[in-house]
Amino acid sequence: MKKRTRTSELRFTRKMQKKLAVLFIFIMLALIALGGRLVQIYKNDGEEYSKQVLAHQKYDSRTIVAKRGDIVDRKGTVLATSEEVYNVILDAKVMTTSSKGECVEPTIQALASCFGAKESEIREFVTKNPTSQYYVLMKRVPYEQMQAFQDMADKVDEKGNKINTKIKGVWFEKEYTRKYNYGSLASDLLGFTLGTGVQGMFGIEEYYNEYLTGTNGREYGYLNSDADLERTVKEPTNGNTVVSTIDINAQQIVEKHIQKFNEAHKNEAREGDGAENIGVIIANPNNGEILAMASSPTFDLSDPKKIEGVEGLAEDAAMELLNQRWKNFCISENYEPGSTAKPFTVAAGIESGKMAGNESYYCDGYQSIGGYNIKCVNRSGHGTETIAQAISNSCNDALMQMASKIGVAEFCKYQSIFNIGYKTGVDLPGEETGLIYSEEKMGPTDLACNSFGQNFNVNMVQMVAGFSSLINGGYYYQPHVVKKINSANGGTVETMDGKLVRQTISAATSEKMRSYLFETVQNGTGRSAKVPGYSMGGKTGTAERVGRDKKNYLISFIGYAPADKPQVVVYVVIDRPNIEPQSQSKYATTLAKDIMTEVLPYLNIFPDQEITAEEQAAMNAENGETENTNGNGEVANEENGESNSENGESNGETGESNGENAGNSGEQDPYYDPETGDNLDPDFSTMGDNAAGETQEENTQNSTAENSESGSREDTTANNN
Amino acid sequence: MEERARQRAERRNKRESYFDYSLLFIIIFLLCFGLVMIYSASSYEAQTEIGNAFYYVKKQLLATIMGLVAMFFVTKLDYHIWYRFSVFAYVLSGILIVLVLTPLGIEANGARRWLNLGLSLQPAEVAKLGSILFFSFMVCRMGKKVHKIQATILLLALASPIVLMILLITKNLSSAIIVLGIVCLMIFVATPYYKRYFVLVAIAVIAAVGLVYLLVSGIIPEEASFRFGRIIAWLHPEDYPDTTGFQTLQALYAIGSGGVLGKGLGASMQKLGFLPEAQNDMIFSIICEELGLFGAVAVILLFLLMIWRFMVVANNAPDLYGALIVVGVMAHIAIQVVLNIAVVTNSIPNTGISLPFISYGGSSVMFLLIEMGMVLSVSRRIKLDHT
Repeated sequence: MKKRTRTSELRFTRKMQKKLAVLFIFIMLALIALGGRLVQIYKNDGEEYSKQVLAHQKYDSRTIVAKRGDIVDRKGTVLATSEEVYNVILDAKVMTTSSKGECVEPTIQALASCFGAKESEIREFVTKNPTSQYYVLMKRVPYEQMQAFQDMADKVDEKGNKINTKIKGVWFEKEYTRKYNYGSLASDLLGFTLGTGVQGMFGIEEYYNEYLTGTNGREYGYLNSDADLERTVKEPTNGNTVVSTIDINAQQIVEKHIQKFNEAHKNEAREGDGAENIGVIIANPNNGEILAMASSPTFDLSDPKKIEGVEGLAEDAAMELLNQRWKNFCISENYEPGSTAKPFTVAAGIESGKMAGNESYYCDGYQSIGGYNIKCVNRSGHGTETIAQAISNSCNDALMQMASKIGVAEFCKYQSIFNIGYKTGVDLPGEETGLIYSEEKMGPTDLACNSFGQNFNVNMVQMVAGFSSLINGGYYYQPHVVKKINSANGGTVETMDGKLVRQTISAATSEKMRSYLFETVQNGTGRSAKVPGYSMGGKTGTAERVGRDKKNYLISFIGYAPADKPQVVVYVVIDRPNIEPQSQSKYATTLAKDIMTEVLPYLNIFPDQEITAEEQAAMNAENGETENTNGNGEVANEENGESNSENGESNGETGESNGENAGNSGEQDPYYDPETGDNLDPDFSTMGDNAAGETQEENTQNSTAENSESGSREDTTANNN
Repeated sequence: MEERARQRAERRNKRESYFDYSLLFIIIFLLCFGLVMIYSASSYEAQTEIGNAFYYVKKQLLATIMGLVAMFFVTKLDYHIWYRFSVFAYVLSGILIVLVLTPLGIEANGARRWLNLGLSLQPAEVAKLGSILFFSFMVCRMGKKVHKIQATILLLALASPIVLMILLITKNLSSAIIVLGIVCLMIFVATPYYKRYFVLVAIAVIAAVGLVYLLVSGIIPEEASFRFGRIIAWLHPEDYPDTTGFQTLQALYAIGSGGVLGKGLGASMQKLGFLPEAQNDMIFSIICEELGLFGAVAVILLFLLMIWRFMVVANNAPDLYGALIVVGVMAHIAIQVVLNIAVVTNSIPNTGISLPFISYGGSSVMFLLIEMGMVLSVSRRIKLDHT
């Protein structure tokens, strides 16, 4: 108590007050000095420091990847789409420096458990590169795995505090990966994307790449006039949806039957698939929409580089093989169409007025043109024929007579009217032009051969588009595989309606053509393509492949249904079928029939004919088609020759001796056999064998024509239809 | 008669009811401002690291409320009670520092500075309070003898054990400097001399400048100079952007990018994982970035106002003991504010000093509020002279 009293007596003296004031002044001065220092920092380095702050925020360079648009079929079924995937990025610097390095192990373990990453590898990388800030640990991890990792890192206890605070230095970059829902279905038509999926390769993916790609977004910052940071996010514009004209079900039906054919004839005459190539197009003749476009062999869209036999090849050879496989046979292959071109010749004749339509022709088995006898398939001749019969019999002789009536000028004019030898402009990359003679270069032999579809090249789409105009009243529509472009959220961006290019022939001529083609399927060479219950029209074709070695053929059928009001066109091309001999067009007609039998009901096209007893019997017999047709009498036998081909007599030299059997091909498309055609100069034949291929495929139109002018005529001699 | 009685009653009333409301207002304002800034500075990190944006601000709020309750009781108490506990408080703070070495100690960020006594407690904070009480007591005991040079030496000698313990046991240089600074400033105020202090300060400045010169000129060999890494980083922070200079540079970036009016409350970018200890020692740079020079100067002025109120209270204190307590508290606040801002602006080498009332730290705010309670308690005893 004593102390305390004394303490209370002690006063804070004047001197102490003075010193306290001095202390206060010093403190004040110190604080003022610090305030000055703040101003100095701001004045001297403010701008620079602001930039520093911006720089390490990296606002100026973040790309937000746009999603590539979907490809859907005409009914909206998704054929190709893009899925989010994530690249796992490792920031070793954050890992090693956070919490004094305590984050390294937990992070590695989390990575291992979520992504199956190898712990030892990560550890090694982090130890060796502790300052690395960007290392792509894994690519294209699916969303679920990424989410699992995020969930683990963000897991909180009941108090809302994070449990796994030691998982650090891992982040993700969003990317998209292309997914094809139907594997190899329509592979040539759709095309694919490689790498980051920005550039489409082949097919719709390539042709409509710009629509599909979209625009990447960006998040960036900049300093405005007040040196404040403005943050701007430009959202990405996702790619548009491409709506194809393809019907996925029709496509599946087509590919199923191609597959069946391939399996049925695998390794039959040689090692390999049922044919070198098979192409099928189904289209709507009234607007140019392609409903199905398939070719064989196919490839897996998800892994386009995985093709049998590629491994072990040198890079160049492998690339060549891959390109060969990736290209679309239906548009990128030039070939001689054969007899399927005959309707074009007839239509040209009638439309130009050079043919009356009611005249008749006499087939004596061959025609002498420019000193050569070009034979008909029926060596002893078809006798007197109407135009309908000429087409139905696929008579070469009659067609050559018609062509000479038409003349070179009109013939060439109509070829270009039918767009033969020009690109159709189908919306797919890599369309071939075809190859035709120009008017000046076309000699009489060329004209004669052209009349029945040899000696000029076409591609499949050209044939479909031109043929459609023959039967639909004369309207040539540009063929197309895409109907519409939709924006990512469903609004219509652009519609691609059937573009009417020109009128090729009059409605009256078209009607005549329909009747001829109907006759051909009903009673003529196209019988075996007929679907019971449906009225159909069409034309078969058998063409010798370039090389003219009498071994390699391209067989085909082009047809439509119903006969009077065509709704569907089908074109089947089988290139070098794996059968012996190859020249049996019934395989093409049968394939067309199998496809149409399923496709017609699917497309809601109803039977318009009574099923004949004969057809009923054929259907009952399931696969007994051949026998039934065979037993059905001489007409079929003579004209179709399909059954003949079965009995093996038809091949080779016997053809000549047997008029009924009609040559070395089972199909009685009238072609003559140069091997036995002694009328021809053997030189031509030789030259044709050697050079025709090159000339047709590689040389220009001019050089081909020059060759023919100079009398070599290799093409002509090689012709076989 | 009546009038006189009323006047007397009024006078009594006035005398009894004196209270430094200005100071109380400043304290409460700084506390609230501090909580807002802690939330702003820490929410991002708390969200990403802990998953709870309110993690730091909640803990701080709790400590603040406890501190306010303690302040209230201390204000109500007669501060003379502490006179008897002065020696005890000093010894206790020494013991607590030693306790850090026992299993009660908590190690974090490579240093044992905390005690786990149910609450985590930093003994250095206790030592600051203990020193203020103890040296106020000692000066009062010495009375007139404090003028002698021996008294100054004795007082410094008494201070040295605690300072050295803080320095060596908890490896906390900044707290040691603060405690020593408090003692020195109290002696400065208590003794009537100037010259000796100026000489001392001059010697210290010359030594510091000399050391820096030796480092810069390379006379101290490389191998030895690594001990002075902080000093080198202070001189050229931009040369060590990834190591010792990192925090300083990021703080400078924050200050420089703030501008005059700042980016706006909550708009700091440096707090987004770039500036370490954003809610702690470096919170002033976030204030600069978000509120600009204007905000920073306002905060400085607020502290200056507070220190001025301390001076007023000390000058009017009823006795020497009360006045010295207030001087000690004033020294404490002033040293921490000046050093903290000096560190943030890279005016002195980097050392961890928190900004009173604003920086995150539970023990710090609690003991600061107890000190405030003492000052307010002294202010209540001020006798108003109405003659």
